[in-house]
Amino acid sequence: MPEANKFINLLNHNQNIIHKVCNLYMDNISDREDLFQEITLQAWNAYSSFRNESKFSTWLYKVALNTAISFYRKEKRKPFIQSSTQIPEHADETDNKEEQMQAMYKAIAALSKIDKALIMLYLEDYNYEEIGSILGITANNVAVKMNRIRTKLKEESKKYYQFS
Amino acid sequence: MELDELKIFLKEKLDTQHPEKSTEDISALLNKNTQSVIGKIKRSLWIEIIACLVFTLACTTVGVIGKYTSLRIYFSIFAVLCFLFLPVLWFLLQKTKKLSSTSLPVKSNLEFLVKILKEYVKRYFQLTMALIPITIFIAFSLGYSEENLHNPELHNPFFPTLTGSMRSVVFVITYLILFSAGMYYVTKWYLKKFYGNYIDQLQSLIKELEE
Repeated sequence: MPEANKFINLLNHNQNIIHKVCNLYMDNISDREDLFQEITLQAWNAYSSFRNESKFSTWLYKVALNTAISFYRKEKRKPFIQSSTQIPEHADETDNKEEQMQAMYKAIAALSKIDKALIMLYLEDYNYEEIGSILGITANNVAVKMNRIRTKLKEESKKYYQFS
Repeated sequence: MELDELKIFLKEKLDTQHPEKSTEDISALLNKNTQSVIGKIKRSLWIEIIACLVFTLACTTVGVIGKYTSLRIYFSIFAVLCFLFLPVLWFLLQKTKKLSSTSLPVKSNLEFLVKILKEYVKRYFQLTMALIPITIFIAFSLGYSEENLHNPELHNPFFPTLTGSMRSVVFVITYLILFSAGMYYVTKWYLKKFYGNYIDQLQSLIKELEE
């Protein structure tokens, strides 16, 4: 199956995207594995719709975010808190910087599913126009939302940083 | 820390922070079952098709070997009804199999899921509710017919002569009301539990995107 092999190779080279989405939306390893599997399956099912009009990575972001946002679990999940073990420890980095980073992660974890998607795409260097096309909203709407999120994150991360 | 600082920090350090999957691992994942909502609907439709087949066979059996004429007619009608449902369910399954909205923009994907789920829930509810009066009507027209009532040889134990006792009439009416109300609320509860809460969640996400 040459199509399947092509898909597997493409996914293999872009699996970072799925890992990032899984880490952002799920708070434990088992759930992340489940989501990884689901995104892979959904991407494979939708692969026939990939027309090379956009980059594979952009298409995969769309599929991964769609799957993560609509992924339904009956039990109420606690918000994702990135533990310190998942963030690399660097001796040359100041503790202060690490703490600030942890605070920012906690603030991101507390965001809604939609805001998380916006932040994820923003951190991946997509411009407002591209973010808008992935989310299905206008660039103006993205700009307004990003401003709101920035303010929210600033406030929230300060809270976490003060108490850490 | 500002968001832009985090961006730089992330680029430098977090890209390698997860266990890499091999091509074999990815290949193995492609053979697993999906847990998506469309996948769940597909599974529900398969279960309904199998249940429909079993029910058709069971009703046909009773329709052929049943002791009472009224019961034979009753179950034969349901065998035909169930059999007629099979192509409808099969058509729905084929239609659902073609659906894949994950490569749409997030908002369109959410709207698509809400539309599909609402349609499924609506049809399921309508079908269940339509079966209540049909069941009652067929049961009474067969069991409480003039022929049955005035033919003691039939010894129809399911439909005693209602005109003879006020108590029996009250009992049957109460039974029908409770049966109908029970079916209504159980179906509502079932649909709300399995799909309603999820639909609400998706709708709130759409609303959030529009704000």
